[in-house]
Amino acid sequence: MNRSQKHLSSIAGALRRVSVFLVFTLALSASNLVAGVLVAPTVIFLSSDSRTGRMTLQNLGDTPQEVSVFFSFGLPTSDSLGDVRVRLQDSAVTDPKACLDWVRAFPRRLIMPPNGTQVVRFVANPPRDLADGEYWARIVVKTQDATPNIPEPSGEGQITTKLNMVMQTAVMLKYRHGDVFCELELKGASATFRDQIVEVMIDANNVGNASYLGVLSCQLVDATGREVATKRTQLAVYRDMRRRVMIPIPEGEFVRPFEINLNITSKGRTDIAAEDMLYGNDIEYSAVVE
Amino acid sequence: MNTKQGTFSGLKLLSTVVVLAALLIPSTGTAQDVAVGQATATVLAILTVTATSALAFGNVYQGVPKPIAKDNADAGVFRIVGEEDADVAIYFQLPDYLATATGDDRMVISFSATDLNVDTTAASTPAGFVATDGWIDQDPHNVTTAADIGSTATDLYLGGEVIPSVDQTAGAYTGDIVLTVAYTGT
Repeated sequence: MNRSQKHLSSIAGALRRVSVFLVFTLALSASNLVAGVLVAPTVIFLSSDSRTGRMTLQNLGDTPQEVSVFFSFGLPTSDSLGDVRVRLQDSAVTDPKACLDWVRAFPRRLIMPPNGTQVVRFVANPPRDLADGEYWARIVVKTQDATPNIPEPSGEGQITTKLNMVMQTAVMLKYRHGDVFCELELKGASATFRDQIVEVMIDANNVGNASYLGVLSCQLVDATGREVATKRTQLAVYRDMRRRVMIPIPEGEFVRPFEINLNITSKGRTDIAAEDMLYGNDIEYSAVVE
Repeated sequence: MNTKQGTFSGLKLLSTVVVLAALLIPSTGTAQDVAVGQATATVLAILTVTATSALAFGNVYQGVPKPIAKDNADAGVFRIVGEEDADVAIYFQLPDYLATATGDDRMVISFSATDLNVDTTAASTPAGFVATDGWIDQDPHNVTTAADIGSTATDLYLGGEVIPSVDQTAGAYTGDIVLTVAYTGT
């Protein structure tokens, strides 16, 4: 490596560190924090080619935090109304795509000093006869005050109370093995107008062996083609997903009937590195709002 | 725009500038006909869940229930910081009672079906929250809809009530409120 290369490399390294620091500072500046831990990144990708990964934790508060890291299972699922939930399951997980039995975290318990940073590493030891596909677990980072102050009653007969605030951040871990792909099928979509809100409902099905991560964009236009409103939201479809999007109608003179233009794409995710993205198909759909 | 939002936006802009500067470095190197160096800066996506203020009942008296409204200054305040416009699933595990350290007595604590406000603007306070800032009167036992983090963060304002019995043993009572947050879009 010549001098110019070394110079460029050192600048790149410095910028990388500054960039990560700025992200942390960004979150720090958001509030006067009492207790809490920052977790980054928000998805951990492992594979048969790279069985280890890492996560950075930072204590944002001014008191030591007791942190424990454990695994759980929970996919985004939706109900008949299109509300999406993540139900965490700690034991008796029978899903064949669960990997929480064969991934490990180091360390699993630690005390983080104020403003301290800690790297947690993950390693996967998959079974030998693993079928091609993506396997999932939730990394749960549990944090609470390491030295909770329990107020002592100052007088005889006095009753004092103290509630400990415990935070759990559940982050997805994905292990990819062999040939993986994702492909989304749109089973149905509808849009209805009610009380100055357009409610969009989509039913999608992932026929791949890996999760479909993408962006759902909704554009509402009036009868003259004028844009009324837009809405953009992140989308993760593991198997089936019924998703509702509410679009409030802004003030203005718009001509009905409205039309909704939907676009689903796995491009445009800013929270996941391009090398970790598994790009699937794009879907476009238009319908008149009822 | 308040000071917090200003600081937030400024840092965000600065962060973007740093990333762009890093991306420009390879082209500079090519123009000088020297090394072909890869200079990229990865901005890590984050998720932060913090308690900015604990739900505080303070001292209570035997036989006198003490409610703390979700718009009270003593309400519990949680902040979620993450990806702009991402949805997060929110779950509270709420205690049924507080207990003394020795476990010889316990005090009932309850949370009603309207004890939670969700402020997706994160620009308000428990007392200043209005319905247009997010969702009002939510059930903390069952937050049915994934919350939109909004442009900066989402705040949760939690109220509750402790109900000491008439023969409640004097002493210090504690309990845990557990908040679990997960992205629904990953």
